[in-house]
Amino acid sequence: MATTTATGTRPPLWRDVRVLRVAFQVAVLAAVVAFASYLYDNLRANDVSFDFGFLDQQAGFGIAYTDLRPSDTVLDAMLTGLRNTLTVALVGNVLTLVLGTLIGIARLSGNWLVRRAAGVYVEVLRNIPPLLVIIFVNSVALSILPPIQDANEFGGLLVLSVSELGVVSLADGGNAEAFAVLLLAGLVAALAVSWWRRRLEDRTGAPAHQWVWGGGLLVAVAVVGYVALASPVVLSHPEVEGLSVVGGARMGLPYVAVLVGLVLYTSSHVAEIVRGSILAVPRGQTEAAGAIGLSPVQRLRHVVLPQAFRIATPPIINQFLNLTKNTSLGVAVAFAELLRVTNTVIGNGHPAVPAILVAMGLYLVVSLAISLVSNVAHHRLRLVER
Amino acid sequence: MPRRTRTRRVTIVLVALSLFAAACSDDDDSNGAAADGNGDEEAAGTGGEGGGGDGLLGEVQDRGTLQCGVNETVPGFGLVDEQGEFAGFDIEYCRAVAAAVLGDAEAVEFTALDAETRFTALQAGDIDVLIRNTTWTSSRDGTENSRFLTTTFYDGQGMMVSADSAFQSIADMDGTTICVLSGTTTELNLATAAAGAGIDIEPLTFPDNEQLQPAFEAGQCQGWTSDKSQLAGVRSAWPDDQGGPEALRVFDETYSKEPLGPVVLDGDDEWADAVNWAVIATIQAEEFAITSDNVEEMTTSDNLDILRFLGQPFPDPEDPEAEAPPLDAGLGLDADFAVNVISQVGNYGEIYDRNVGPDTPLGLERGVNALWTEGGLLYPPPYR
Repeated sequence: MATTTATGTRPPLWRDVRVLRVAFQVAVLAAVVAFASYLYDNLRANDVSFDFGFLDQQAGFGIAYTDLRPSDTVLDAMLTGLRNTLTVALVGNVLTLVLGTLIGIARLSGNWLVRRAAGVYVEVLRNIPPLLVIIFVNSVALSILPPIQDANEFGGLLVLSVSELGVVSLADGGNAEAFAVLLLAGLVAALAVSWWRRRLEDRTGAPAHQWVWGGGLLVAVAVVGYVALASPVVLSHPEVEGLSVVGGARMGLPYVAVLVGLVLYTSSHVAEIVRGSILAVPRGQTEAAGAIGLSPVQRLRHVVLPQAFRIATPPIINQFLNLTKNTSLGVAVAFAELLRVTNTVIGNGHPAVPAILVAMGLYLVVSLAISLVSNVAHHRLRLVER
Repeated sequence: MPRRTRTRRVTIVLVALSLFAAACSDDDDSNGAAADGNGDEEAAGTGGEGGGGDGLLGEVQDRGTLQCGVNETVPGFGLVDEQGEFAGFDIEYCRAVAAAVLGDAEAVEFTALDAETRFTALQAGDIDVLIRNTTWTSSRDGTENSRFLTTTFYDGQGMMVSADSAFQSIADMDGTTICVLSGTTTELNLATAAAGAGIDIEPLTFPDNEQLQPAFEAGQCQGWTSDKSQLAGVRSAWPDDQGGPEALRVFDETYSKEPLGPVVLDGDDEWADAVNWAVIATIQAEEFAITSDNVEEMTTSDNLDILRFLGQPFPDPEDPEAEAPPLDAGLGLDADFAVNVISQVGNYGEIYDRNVGPDTPLGLERGVNALWTEGGLLYPPPYR
């Protein structure tokens, strides 16, 4: 039997774990720096410039369905592309979450037809590359929609044509900023009231309907504000004038094709995540909830979904990131998102490597922002164990 | 052995291997060669020894094939036909360069490129020469590090609309959506032309014609702008179920100058000269009325200029008894490269008539693409 070494003797340097750890990290860092500088030297030797001055030059091109004019700078053009990307990302993520959750729950429904239909939807869309879905949606739209001269108009609510679509939206009727401020104040007040009613409920045990009170207050503030400010927001109806849509929210067909394609594709993934997270809640929870007399809806609402939501949040945020990056597939349908604009900038003779670095930087900022929100949400929601 | 020790040893071995790989890949000279090539020729301008020197000319001759960057979607200029073969005006010029440099017009490898990647392919050395309906502009000469050679086709930008639309000129097209290819001078010229006409248009940019055409067919854009030669090519191939060529109209207006020609990389003058004179040879041949049919008998012509041009020995003007050797212009090409070019490909007129001439579906008249003796812009420098 070996005797233990006396305390105070240390292993030799080449077996000392602490030394080895540091040495390994230094070695990896040196390898990374060496590789990066080798790449940089090669690029410089081939006259690849890292000059970012091209950003201040005139773009020379416009972008359809945006306000970009050829006299604006290259940086403006790239930011317009970024704005397009973000629009699809934000609207798409919201729609994906809603649609994906509904389909995920539908897949667990007791109704055979609903369950099967949701199953087919998920299995078909999950297994097709997103680019194909986008191109398919675009091709279908190109073949069934009429040219703008013969656009389909649906009573001022919707305009459909092969170049542009229009949807009724809200527009400034006079006092929109004041109304917005009022709504914001109302929202804060509603949240405060909800919190107060929740405290009351916790203290007395009697149901205090916190959301009814909060929601009611918000609606009351909105109605009073609307009347008092004499219609601060009005409905704006889209109409076809000449060759474009005037009024309402106008969207180019490429935008709609990318949005619909990505929402269909990503929601199939989100549906699976939601379904999996509901199934991951231990059966004991459902059974116990039943044992204490909760109805199925109450079970879902108070016991299963909160736990499922906690499990589902990180993968769903991951899907949001995927959707944001998949907007770059819009190049196939002439959607002027960031990657398309970058390619156009490079094609017009501006230096390629700096332009791509700018685009990568912008994508990175967007993705990191989404990741940050995700990490904060996850940190707040995780199960804190003893 | 215990798992931690084994993991540690594996990790150390992996790190050592990756450092080795980083060090060893310094010997990989694919980037180095291009850098050397560029660096050498600044001092050089060697040319002269028969057969190229250290530059791209020597490399192509050693390799035995020419890498040519071309288009594959424009009828008449660069198109892949049903048999999978490349055909077109630019394709034949690739073959002419191969005939001059290598003696064999078939020794060409074509690389189809789209508008955005054509210059990066040239800069990366993937292709030796770019003959892809590329317009010569100052910024391309400058920022794209490229050198434009003799213009083979003087073109201009035009606009194509549906024949039953009411538009007669760009000034009528306020508020319309116009399809255009990205990465082209067309895109920039469209903005200028629209501003000049005082109208506002929405440009819809596509990476290539395969995505643009369905959008135009579906009516997503009301106009399609491109070089007039491209528009003629597209119109000639317009499918019958869309109405055939009669369903389209190209405006008479021209919005810009578009001189199209071959492009090589900056810095290798020897290669540029070789390609340039291969192209000029076709134009000079038309001026001398040498065709692929009569080139053999022209080698025994009485005209001294023709003999010199065709690289044949010719009577010495100073000493009628002696014979001067064929002219070696110091281009690094065979003395009779012009014979190879003309017999294997043809002169400018033949190439034009075969691909884009009045008897082809494109039906383009010579216009400014005629010899200077016929009032056009083609003026080949003398071969002497």
